[in-house]
Amino acid sequence: MMEYSDEDRARRITQLRKGILELAVMGVLYNERHYGYSLIRVLSEDGSVSLKEGTIYPILARLDRDGLVRAEWVESDQGPPRKYYALTASGRQLFDEMSQEFGLLVSLVQRKWKAPDPAEPVGKKLAVRKA
Amino acid sequence: MENYPEAVAKIAADYLSRVKSHLRVLPLQEQDEFLRELQSHIYEAYQQTPGDDEVARILAVLRKLGEPADVVSDRLPGALVRSGTKRNLPLFIAGGILVALFGLPLGAGGVGVLVGLLAALAGIVVAYYAVAGSVLLVGTLTLLLGLMRLGWPQLFDRLVTLGFIQLNGPPNEFFERMTSAEQGLVMILFASVFIAAGLGLLWLGRYLLRGLRFLLNIAFDWMRRSAQLVRRKLRQEKTEAPVSPVAAASRTV
Repeated sequence: MMEYSDEDRARRITQLRKGILELAVMGVLYNERHYGYSLIRVLSEDGSVSLKEGTIYPILARLDRDGLVRAEWVESDQGPPRKYYALTASGRQLFDEMSQEFGLLVSLVQRKWKAPDPAEPVGKKLAVRKA
Repeated sequence: MENYPEAVAKIAADYLSRVKSHLRVLPLQEQDEFLRELQSHIYEAYQQTPGDDEVARILAVLRKLGEPADVVSDRLPGALVRSGTKRNLPLFIAGGILVALFGLPLGAGGVGVLVGLLAALAGIVVAYYAVAGSVLLVGTLTLLLGLMRLGWPQLFDRLVTLGFIQLNGPPNEFFERMTSAEQGLVMILFASVFIAAGLGLLWLGRYLLRGLRFLLNIAFDWMRRSAQLVRRKLRQEKTEAPVSPVAAASRTV
């Protein structure tokens, strides 16, 4: 048996984040348009999630490719032009559906599952039926 | 670059050129757009990062952005597959996947070995069907001759005298003892054996193809797994080896 390595752990966490981060990005772009850096600022505002900033851009590219966001270059009065993103109508619709689904999943994950009661063995029901 | 101090501009340009080297498979326009976006990001982040030491500031920005390979890693596989579907060539996709899985870790030699193996397997299939096809052809021709001997014996004789049909050796002696109708029937009998054998070969070909597909699947699976192993080993070495400040810092996330 191979041991479960830190690398595998990191990969699992990254994987979990990827999908949820995409959803979070859609949420931020729901009502406001943002360019990459401002989006990152909003996402890491409270500092609770450490974010590798480069991961945002592939997400934005994917959303753009799938027609969920609209992108446009806007000249900036200081520095190079910025690429702004905003959610499209279909992006909004998808976000509504996905956030609902997400809420259900979160409540499922965070539900406090009861620890088994030793007085009531799991196999009891079966035993009763047999008798 | 946009009014950076010289050292900062140099570090940023170096970073972008490293990103660019990872983007080569993408269409030029997409490359350019992505680089411009990163450039904008670096500028904004640099302006927002406090500190007196300019070099420390730009390094902090790049560290937070991540290693070039990580920044582009998510873009590549999708892009490879996408440019394949655009040309509507499933083969292109398969080729991209093959090259990405086995070719890259093994280098150009690996690609050569793969192409050679595939060509050899294709050769086996072609040879098999060529044999089946020629057996069928012989059978069909014999059948036609037999029918001719039955239906138009004179035509067959004319062809023999003209030299189009030559009967020599033992078969000839065997034939001479029979009437033309019997000769026709014998030929048809032989023809049916040949045609049956040809059809049988074609039918068995399905199993050849199935077997080859099975072999290919096993081989691909094995290669994929060993490629993963190699990649994992490489990654381990990378984390153990001393790394650039940007790389070292970006591991923390």
